[in-house]
Amino acid sequence: MTNNEILQVITGFIGSMGFAVLYNIRGKRLIFAGLGGFLSWGLFVILNKIIPNEAVNYFLVAFVISVYAEIMARILKTPTTTFITTSLIPLIPGSSLYYTMAYAFENDFERFLQKGAYTLQLSSALALGIIVATTLTKLINNLLNTKNKL
Amino acid sequence: MKQLFNCAMSIGEEMLISGAEVHRVEESIRLMCERFGAKRVDVFIITSSMVATLYTKEGDSFTETRRISTISNNFEKLHRLNQLSRNICSSNLTAEEIKIMFEKAINCKTYSFIVECIFYAIIASAFTLFFGGNIIESVISFITGAIVRLGILFFEKTVGNNIFTKFLAMVIAASLSFTALKIGLVSSVDKLIIGNIMTLIPGVGLTNALRDLFTGDSIAGILRTISAVLTALAIAAGYFLVTILGGFLI
Repeated sequence: MTNNEILQVITGFIGSMGFAVLYNIRGKRLIFAGLGGFLSWGLFVILNKIIPNEAVNYFLVAFVISVYAEIMARILKTPTTTFITTSLIPLIPGSSLYYTMAYAFENDFERFLQKGAYTLQLSSALALGIIVATTLTKLINNLLNTKNKL
Repeated sequence: MKQLFNCAMSIGEEMLISGAEVHRVEESIRLMCERFGAKRVDVFIITSSMVATLYTKEGDSFTETRRISTISNNFEKLHRLNQLSRNICSSNLTAEEIKIMFEKAINCKTYSFIVECIFYAIIASAFTLFFGGNIIESVISFITGAIVRLGILFFEKTVGNNIFTKFLAMVIAASLSFTALKIGLVSSVDKLIIGNIMTLIPGVGLTNALRDLFTGDSIAGILRTISAVLTALAIAAGYFLVTILGGFLI
């Protein structure tokens, strides 16, 4: 890992932790919410070295972190939202969103379209990861429920 | 029975306000009412309204509606309410006992405004560093973040409208960043504004929207998506306004 990547993982953790405080998460849950942010960007950096496609990595990280959130929620007996919202904070494409706006303002349409498409790609990948994990959890829950009833 | 049903609705309402998914609230209300001995429960919830009807075994029915105005994330409160609804489902509590526990749960501790302000600033400066800003930019971001939080507090009290508040917050963030550029503290505003965008962006709203959409609550999901998209547009509009004005002034 380069210095820059280490800095990103640390600041990503601080950012997630900050949001966890804003959402009034306390005690043990605060630590695991922050840890989620640390894991999400750490995993992304590692995956980037293996798979040279950021959108694919966004999808994978979103999926893994959603599963992490579901598991932590069950262990700590609290709603999943607590972990999913805070852990994925570092993945929000704030930077490319900003440059999309800036290029739109500068009438630089070629770069605007390029950045806009990139932002859309990343956020769809992020969304898709969450969706797949949520659907899978629902499926497993339903299976367990029917098993209990039989 | 009516008292118990009223308690279940109040718990559900507070859960929704604290930022729970629609699916969870509907499920909690249904399970609690079944525990109270209802024959059938119909619950319908969207982000701005709740309707539930309970049918007793004796043939009576009760209906309650609740109007939800603002949703803010308070996961500690949500956690406690969630625990309470689990408690209700696993033991026989009377309406009085539930009411006392409910009061205790909704009056949970929150962080003081100063702490919130500091963490707002920390988030802004952390993400300025995250996206490649240097130390000076991060310090300016910290100050901007704190001022933006104060601004949000003021606008929430006076304007009230969530989307317009975000617009005004972005106006403050962008003007402060451009001021820093004008004074010559930084060479570009990019990283400053990115840091502040991260605190304002409706990431949580969108995450919840997606989760609602794909657990079968389409209407609530669509409403949340629309409000997230509108908020993002409001932030962009705030940025544009300042850049246009800045273009005239600089």
